[in-house]
Amino acid sequence: MSDLILQALYSGVLAGGAYALIALGLALVFGTMRVINLAHGELVLLAAYIGYTVESRLGWSPVAAIPLAIVIVCAAAACVYGVVSRIRVDREINSLIATFGIGVILTNGILLVWSADVRSTSSAWLQEAVVMGPLYGMRGELVFFGVSLALMGALWWWLAKSWYGRAVRAVASNRDAAQLMGIPPGRTELVSFLVAGVLAACAGVALYSVGVIQPALGGALTVKAFIITVLAGVGSIPGVLLGAVLLGVAEALTVTLASSALQELAGMGLFLLVLFVLPNGLFGAVRRRG
Amino acid sequence: MRRAYFPALLLAAYAGVPLVLGGNSYVMSLIDAALVIGGIALAWALLGNLGGMVSFGHSAFVGVGGYVSALLTAKAGLPVPAGLLLGGVGAVLAAVVMLPVLRLRGPYFALAILAYAHIFRILATEWTTVTGGAAGVSGVPPLPVIAGIDFGGKTGAYFVILTIVCVFAWIYARVSASHYGLALRAMHDSEDATQVLGVNSTLLKAAMLLLSAFMTGVIGAFNAHYIGFLEPDYAFAGLWVTLPIVAAIFGGYRTIAGPLLGAVVVYLLDQLVFKTLISSGHQLILGALLVAMIVFSPRGLLPLLTRGRKPDAGT
Amino acid sequence: MLELDNVTVRFGGLTAVDNVTLRAGSGDVLGLVGANGAGKTTLFNAISGLVRPTAGSIRFGGTSVVRAPMFRRARLGIGRTFQIPQPLHGLTVRENLVVAQRFGTGKVDERRIAEVLEFTGLADKTGRDAATGLALTELKALEVAKALATDPQLLLLDEVLAGLETTAKRRFMGMLQDLHARFGVGIVIIEHDIETIATLCRRVAVLNFGRLIADGTPDAVFRDPEVMRSYVGNGVGGGHG
Repeated sequence: MSDLILQALYSGVLAGGAYALIALGLALVFGTMRVINLAHGELVLLAAYIGYTVESRLGWSPVAAIPLAIVIVCAAAACVYGVVSRIRVDREINSLIATFGIGVILTNGILLVWSADVRSTSSAWLQEAVVMGPLYGMRGELVFFGVSLALMGALWWWLAKSWYGRAVRAVASNRDAAQLMGIPPGRTELVSFLVAGVLAACAGVALYSVGVIQPALGGALTVKAFIITVLAGVGSIPGVLLGAVLLGVAEALTVTLASSALQELAGMGLFLLVLFVLPNGLFGAVRRRG
Repeated sequence: MRRAYFPALLLAAYAGVPLVLGGNSYVMSLIDAALVIGGIALAWALLGNLGGMVSFGHSAFVGVGGYVSALLTAKAGLPVPAGLLLGGVGAVLAAVVMLPVLRLRGPYFALAILAYAHIFRILATEWTTVTGGAAGVSGVPPLPVIAGIDFGGKTGAYFVILTIVCVFAWIYARVSASHYGLALRAMHDSEDATQVLGVNSTLLKAAMLLLSAFMTGVIGAFNAHYIGFLEPDYAFAGLWVTLPIVAAIFGGYRTIAGPLLGAVVVYLLDQLVFKTLISSGHQLILGALLVAMIVFSPRGLLPLLTRGRKPDAGT
Repeated sequence: MLELDNVTVRFGGLTAVDNVTLRAGSGDVLGLVGANGAGKTTLFNAISGLVRPTAGSIRFGGTSVVRAPMFRRARLGIGRTFQIPQPLHGLTVRENLVVAQRFGTGKVDERRIAEVLEFTGLADKTGRDAATGLALTELKALEVAKALATDPQLLLLDEVLAGLETTAKRRFMGMLQDLHARFGVGIVIIEHDIETIATLCRRVAVLNFGRLIADGTPDAVFRDPEVMRSYVGNGVGGGHG
């Protein structure tokens, strides 16, 4: 029994990598624009389907799809930015509705182009089991976990050292002050969307490579990213990784101990738990109103 | 909407429509469905305007209301009118479970409700012993025949849903005009300012959530009996979220009549135009319409057309 | 009536209110002074319920209110104005008072509303939109009117005079002087101007870095060496914040 649990923990941690990428993208945009992109999950899904197309049309490994996915998803993200930046009245609420609409467009667009069939990778290399002691993992899971960690490291470096990265942090912390110091808020916000796009693209390809995808997944992904931010707040990268791993582990445990159909409920359970027991999130990041 | 129009409108609705269109089953079914969407849009707008909360999860209330009523009538043999009411109650209970998220700020609240909607759908699909699982509930009894009128038929059902929607609109108006309405409107900008004056803002917001849920649940229950069967993917479909929102924004969500008018227009557009253009992805056009409206005319399109460009008056 | 005992409010590492013990009754006109950041507004926030004290007890009318939510304290009789006026948006001036009456006392007494409107000089502005149709003076008057409309037993006034120019300030001073006599309500007032405090109040409490360092008549307090040191040491003399 404990072997099963250990295995669930292991799988959960590996899944946490991709989840963290998704959550970070959402958090990045929220940080700079105070806008939650409800279409974020659909952007991830788009990348996943691009991975599928590359594999099924060209016969390449989905990993090779990453550059193309980045280009397309970033273009889509830029469009989302274009819409959101045009909203002037009641920005917070109206951007929610607008990005919700974009999510509907993307989900149905994906449905039209790729149909409702469930897809997953056929690459033997990615699916091959890699054994470490008593633990089994798919090579794809390990590869993309590594990719996720590398990306998070790169993101951390970018935010700390690069000009645009620091601009993003400045705008997130105090938009007006940043503007006064000569930081162009519009361009910085666009950059945050693009970086979120890059993260989403990699997460999407990862998702395709280790799991199954279908058009309805978009909303669920956004919800997961949201749950992670409730768990961990939008403040720190390690925090988000921890929250993501927690979610991955909770899901894996649910699948192992209960049933795979209840997987989504795991995140919900965590979310409700935090809401009731730790109303400020795990790291005190969610501010209560009033 | 000017008060003087009401008698004429009600007459047109209750007498005119059935007389003129009652013979055409297809048109009546369109109108019935449009009113269902309109009712949900009304409840959604109520939550937004009075409660100050934007919800992306009203499908949860539609589904719960539908399932509770369907199961109580089909399996437990309760009469359909009771089922409608209890469907509303069921939705209220679902909303009670959602109460902890009231303390979250706008975007977080919206997402939390979205998460709840997902969960209810999964519960309906997996809780096979109670809900019949993915196969759903079949043999949901239709609305009954009373005093010789078959309320289960397309025209009979029209009277029912029309009355439900009118009653809900009236309730919305009464609440909005009351002192509670004043306090609710003030709460949007600063709950602290109202609390310091003795307003229990949390209770009021919760009341709006429960009211909106009740209304939506009753309509979801009506729909279940109208359609005759229920399955999770239908009962909790994303369309129950998208259509009412598009309808409410199209018709002008700040008014009471706006969501209803918007629902009629948008639903007919969707069924008659969008579906012929892209049959399986027609929601795509709805989504595009939603985005276009928010960007160019967030107060709705109908208000623009009827009154011409008016400068924004405060709220 | 209001009993603060060892009230401490800490935000993370910062102690905003430090072990304050204070009494205020319906017969008091109590001034609360101290340099910027001394903890005055935080103390008000603790009394009215906006923040929960880290330690200590707050009793009002004999019952503990430390756990009571803001709206309950308002209904019990603690009225409060905000330093930056917070009119109820989207409502007219009259509707602001209707809400205050309805939810602060349980019913709407038209005479009381008329009385408050006349007292605060807003009688001819009832139809104006509270958030967009009023000048600063009127907004501040509305703050006082709203709080008064809840029939308070104790009124917390947070820098009502800040930002007003001389004539308005004089008119407000007159209004504040009448407030206690006319409505029989106890007052705790935060102001920066020592003269104002000395004129209006019979009693003064001084906060410095969150601690209560003096509590007595204006004469006694403003001659207290520790009080004088706190003012000089904190570089006060720059007028209003």
